[in-house]
Amino acid sequence: MRDWLLQRSWNALLGAVLLASVVFNIAQSDGYLSINNFVNLFELSIEKIIVVVAMTFVIVAGEIDLSVASVMGFAACVMASLHERSGLPFWLILLVTLVVSALIGLIQGLIITLLELPSLVVTLAGLIAWRGAARILVEDRSVGQYPDWFNSMGQDDLIGPLPFAILLFVGVLALGAVLLHRTVVGRYLYVIGDKPDVARYSGVRVDRVRTSLFVASSTVAGLAGILFAARLGTARADLAYGFELEIITIVLLGGVSIFGGSGRMSGVALAILIVLNVRNGLGLAGVDGSTQVGVIGVILIASVLVQNALGRVTARRQRQQANAELAAVASTA
Amino acid sequence: MKSRTIRIAALVAAASLFIAACGSDDDADTATTEAASGSEPAATEPAGTEPAGTEAPAGTEAPAGTDAAASDTTADSGAAATGDVVAIEADGDFNALLLPKCTGNAVFDQANEGAIEAAGELGAADPQFSAPASCADTTGQIEFVTNAVTQGVDAIMISNNAGDQVQTAVDDADAAGIPVVAWDSPIPSGQGEDLFVAQVDFDETGVVMADMALNILGDDGGQFAILSATPDAANQNAWIAAMEEALTSDPKYASLELVDTVYGNDDADESYNQALALVDSNPDLELIMAPTTVGIAAAAKAMQDEGLCETVKVSGLGLPDEMRDFTTAGCAPEFALWSFVDLGYLTYYAAYGIAKGQIEAAEGTSFEAGRMGEYTIEKDPTRDNGLRIVMGPFSVYNADNL
Repeated sequence: MRDWLLQRSWNALLGAVLLASVVFNIAQSDGYLSINNFVNLFELSIEKIIVVVAMTFVIVAGEIDLSVASVMGFAACVMASLHERSGLPFWLILLVTLVVSALIGLIQGLIITLLELPSLVVTLAGLIAWRGAARILVEDRSVGQYPDWFNSMGQDDLIGPLPFAILLFVGVLALGAVLLHRTVVGRYLYVIGDKPDVARYSGVRVDRVRTSLFVASSTVAGLAGILFAARLGTARADLAYGFELEIITIVLLGGVSIFGGSGRMSGVALAILIVLNVRNGLGLAGVDGSTQVGVIGVILIASVLVQNALGRVTARRQRQQANAELAAVASTA
Repeated sequence: MKSRTIRIAALVAAASLFIAACGSDDDADTATTEAASGSEPAATEPAGTEPAGTEAPAGTEAPAGTDAAASDTTADSGAAATGDVVAIEADGDFNALLLPKCTGNAVFDQANEGAIEAAGELGAADPQFSAPASCADTTGQIEFVTNAVTQGVDAIMISNNAGDQVQTAVDDADAAGIPVVAWDSPIPSGQGEDLFVAQVDFDETGVVMADMALNILGDDGGQFAILSATPDAANQNAWIAAMEEALTSDPKYASLELVDTVYGNDDADESYNQALALVDSNPDLELIMAPTTVGIAAAAKAMQDEGLCETVKVSGLGLPDEMRDFTTAGCAPEFALWSFVDLGYLTYYAAYGIAKGQIEAAEGTSFEAGRMGEYTIEKDPTRDNGLRIVMGPFSVYNADNL
């Protein structure tokens, strides 16, 4: 109940920030209010966004996956190198790439659950290892020349002015929200994130759920890597380099606790829109990259501070309420 | 309650200052590491320079490249433009984006200075100077190009960091009728790009390095070694190949003996250690030639730290600001680089002329760019499909002009 209240005021705050950034953008740039710009807004970050949704699940369960960006790069390079060296049909290559990504998640998940190692360490190792593996696969080159349908999947409009990216954004977000808030697995994740022992004693197969979580995370990362390669028309070993931090930033900004057990998909959706809008607005205003990164950093720090303050206020209010009730009970007795 | 709100506000303010400070720190860091990649740009495609390399030695005198270029263009423009040189003139305001590979890199800031100088002369506003925060973010430029198209800028001047990944964004700019002028590092396919302003001719780089080696070692010559960036850095490899070509083709370099080529991966520590290893394994070594700004500074530092400056000199491509102390101390008596200020200046003039319709981005077009003088657009021999002008020349730095 308390979490829910907290999340609601948090979402209200995010909504206000989003509104402010939209107003700022409209005032600042003529080009902002064009359909093209809104399409670009999503298209330029769609790969990141779908990984954000997967990362929300991971963090809600009290874990972290630092390897996602490296897995994106590795998956793109697996695809590229299969395309270059094997004569397989391209759809099969994509399938193999996704299976490879899932296997990566399985390996990492099993190491974390069987050896009881922290996911922070295991996926940090993954971050380094899979990026290295990507470099071994395609070296310092960029591999292109994919089938036309593949490139157009990342680049062309699908329905009217709407590209695949926006439809995917809406689809992934809706699917994420339903899975997290309307299914048993979603409930398990919250319990595991909050009190893993309670989950275990209640008969939840904690390790199995955790392992599947990392399989899902890596598979989604692999898909994102493929989509990124489709948008760029080429794959390189440094694809998506450094994305993990921005992805985790958005999830935390969405009000998901880094300690697990709380947060809602609606907050994450708002956070995505805020980050996209702020970056787009600053970009259109001609602000350079370092300042953009700085502004997003300030928003994150501010959000953590406000979240902390909100938590205290709610806690105090509840305490006061409890005291008042206690006093009332005492006086009647 | 109220005091808590104030406290939180103060904290937020402090945090933002802190972050802003850290942000610029990071940039300073990347500036040194990326300094070399500032020169790496043309990297991706110069692999194809080899054919041009073979005809270069003919004109070994000095600017082999420019000679060849000049003869090329006279042949072409003789028929086409009959030597009409268009002087680019002030013609109203101009809102352009100067997009380097990343911010916080000294050489790109210099290019911006040059562009601002040109803008002042043409009576236009300073260009927008923005870029991704880190050169490691190779796809970050895509967003900047896309946003510039949305803004409806008059021209985009890009030092391409994304290889051919930036292609779709450049195509969008092209479709929107926005001229794209590449500088420092071109769009590999040449598509959507109106013109590439090349810093120097790659063959000339080899000759300049050979000349510096000869100057430093004297007519008696001696042994030297090359400390490069990464083994697969295409621009460095092209420059080294051009130098080897010059060494074998011109008898005046006969006394120079290249004994080893090693790679410091453009990492200061690694380059430092590689430089010391070179000295250990080659007792008669007299010179280390480093065609990378990271390598040359690291090698000079290594020689200075070990007190070896009297026996082993350092030369190559370096940034004057980073090399000044080593040059005055005699560790690196001579090194070369092109002027990034001039590169920014020339790029701005070219973009202005093309965007205003004063010149056509076509082979054989000649134009005059302010204080830089005349240039003629030619086919880019390093790419299948692209036009370029070659800025040149090298600036050779020594204790006299630093």
